[in-house]
Amino acid sequence: MLDRHEAHEKGQELPHRDAADRAVTNRPAADREVPLPGTAAAEGSALVIQQWLDGEVSETEARRADAKQVDMWNRVHLDTAARRRMVTPSHVMANVMAAIPDAPFEKQVAMAAVIDTMVSTPAGRVSRSAALVIGAGLFAAGIVLGKLL
Amino acid sequence: MTEEELPQADVDSDQDVIARIIAGDRNAFAMLIGRYSDPLYRHALGMTGSPDVAEDILQTSFIKAFQHLGEVRGRFDAWLFRIVANGCKDWLKNIRRTHLSYDEDDQPSTYASPDEDLDRTELRTDLDDALAQLAASLREAFIMKHVEGRSYEEMADLLGTTVGALKMRVHRAREALQALLEEKYA
Repeated sequence: MLDRHEAHEKGQELPHRDAADRAVTNRPAADREVPLPGTAAAEGSALVIQQWLDGEVSETEARRADAKQVDMWNRVHLDTAARRRMVTPSHVMANVMAAIPDAPFEKQVAMAAVIDTMVSTPAGRVSRSAALVIGAGLFAAGIVLGKLL
Repeated sequence: MTEEELPQADVDSDQDVIARIIAGDRNAFAMLIGRYSDPLYRHALGMTGSPDVAEDILQTSFIKAFQHLGEVRGRFDAWLFRIVANGCKDWLKNIRRTHLSYDEDDQPSTYASPDEDLDRTELRTDLDDALAQLAASLREAFIMKHVEGRSYEEMADLLGTTVGALKMRVHRAREALQALLEEKYA
């Protein structure tokens, strides 16, 4: 069977997972992708093969429907199982660790701390009010100077 | 003792590790790389068909993740997966637009055992070629189901779609692969 491994990995009993899958098929049709017009949905032996690949029927049953397809998918399964054991080349981690900055968060944290102080402390509010008064004063002085000239 | 051998309670959660990194423990990021690099590498390799490209995407994704660690909301592994998956899709878009062939760059992949390293079969090449002909969403669904061995529920969680939609994608991918491979293998 092609995809039973994930159930074993999680220590989950197969009937539970199958039951979960069945519950999903009960969802409204709008919740599912449907075949495009002109594209026939799997039926007959093709449907049995699909069900076998989804772990819903036994290999014996699938063989009865189409033994050649079962053999082909078993070969594919051997290849995908080998791919599943591939590991990341060790230099990838070394490259990443060499490329990341030493302290990416210092600046952000420091800036956040400054903003917090400005916004949340009474002193910050005073500073902001004072800046507004000074700005308004300078604007008024500019208008007066403009009239005088 | 490796991290895998430790009892669950002794293994730092992703959130704990992220908090350490944000607090300045840059080296803790290696722990996150160790936890997630293998499945993500397999995903990138399956999607691109090229070990070199898969490595590049993985490296870029981890660096991007490090730079934006403070923005993680919810599950880190799902967030990281999306970065890698988007990297793969972007690469596929570009490669199709420029009509470049990546076969020339293809090199033997890294396997867990040396024996497998020698076993780059004809079927593997044919399967890679067939996968390359699938739409990105179908290829992604097939790789996640049959190469990464994920359940439909897990796939739906990572891709933000429904189990029904993913079943349909996997079925379509299999039908297309069957059509491409059956003349030679069935």
